[in-house]
Amino acid sequence: MAQSLQHLSPTALRVAKNYTKGYTDTQTKVRDATSNDPWGPSGTQMNEIAQLTYNQSDFVEIMEMLDKRLNDKGKNWRHVFKALTVLDYCLHAGSENVVIYFKDNLYIIKTLKEFIYVDDQGKDVGHNVRQKAKDITNLLQDEERLRSERRSRGAMRDRMLGNLA
Amino acid sequence: QPTRPVDKDKTETELTNNIKKATSPEETAPKQKHVRKCIVYTWDYHSSLSVWNGLRTQPILADEVQTFKALILVHKLLQEGHPVTLKEALAQTGWLETCGRTVGGDGAKGYGSLIRAYTSFLLAKLRFHRHHPEFNGLFEYEEYISLKNIDDPNEGYETISDLMALQDQIDSFQKLIFSHFRGANNNECRISALVPLVKESFGIYKFITSMLRAMHRRTGDAMDVLLPLRERYNTQHYNLRRFYYECSNLKYLTGLINVPKLGQEPPNLLDSGGDAPD
Repeated sequence: MAQSLQHLSPTALRVAKNYTKGYTDTQTKVRDATSNDPWGPSGTQMNEIAQLTYNQSDFVEIMEMLDKRLNDKGKNWRHVFKALTVLDYCLHAGSENVVIYFKDNLYIIKTLKEFIYVDDQGKDVGHNVRQKAKDITNLLQDEERLRSERRSRGAMRDRMLGNLA
Repeated sequence: QPTRPVDKDKTETELTNNIKKATSPEETAPKQKHVRKCIVYTWDYHSSLSVWNGLRTQPILADEVQTFKALILVHKLLQEGHPVTLKEALAQTGWLETCGRTVGGDGAKGYGSLIRAYTSFLLAKLRFHRHHPEFNGLFEYEEYISLKNIDDPNEGYETISDLMALQDQIDSFQKLIFSHFRGANNNECRISALVPLVKESFGIYKFITSMLRAMHRRTGDAMDVLLPLRERYNTQHYNLRRFYYECSNLKYLTGLINVPKLGQEPPNLLDSGGDAPD
């Protein structure tokens, strides 16, 4: 088994882990959106997660998984960066509970402002994490801006749904 | 107690390890991931006692690099930890004083005087916070505090003087750090101590600026009373400008934080329309 796992691609490995570790569908969605793949998360993925935060049990599962990703080690800097990306999206389009939860736990984000990771090529890839952590910290501390950005996002979504209907 | 999914026993065990690794004997910056865990711990459990305990019981003081890294850790903890950290730190001044006594002379690697200067700066910082509990560890700008103190000009005057004394101490400490750079490389450990100093000095600068402006508005005709503060403010502006300029040449530091850029001339404190600098 261990031998064969080494031959799996990271994506296939993640699928296997989702299965063997018994992650729920919601948790799997967050894990996929915040994986080590060098692309994404996609808008569709983020939108789906943001909508799920309106359901209380999904909300808890999403926060749990985001917390895990945000506190991951340097080698997995993409987990951290993408978790911040997903979080940023959810703060705009997700339920109010996301805002409350992360205002409560702001220090998790704030302390990522000095995140460092130098990869094998000697490149400091932590820069993206630091910038994103700064942006989100500023947003969470600016009640007025957060309100207006959430409002305009909501209005845009209503318009688009209206057009579709 | 925390709303995050956490496991207290596991965190406590890990904390011991985080402290050990943050204060390892390697002459590098204290690893931020370990410093971060200590900071996050104080927020999760609203207590810093386990961190102080770890610092006191681990064999850190036998080595000058480890001692210096421990002081950087303490400084960051005071700045960014839960507010209770500042209060609990008051019971740790004995340990800090011991840190200052461990290395005789300049030490084999030249950290002796840096350790003594860092210790006395941290003790001064703690004294300030004891007298002015309304400030947080990073002096983050909150309008209401500046408004509160200008209602009583005497109190405001004293607060600003105290802030300026702390600012002067940061200035002489940073100069000492720069003067202890060795050659072109391997200064990372020393440079990493500048990171919290840049943040703290800028927090203080912003606060003084907004408080002085508010006091000028309030005192009106009696403005001459504030002349000594204005003169001292201007001197500090030039010192700080030079400090940030020198920091802006350190690649390690500019990659990590935005080093503020101050204007050539100090802002006009009588210009009531002006905002605090960003």
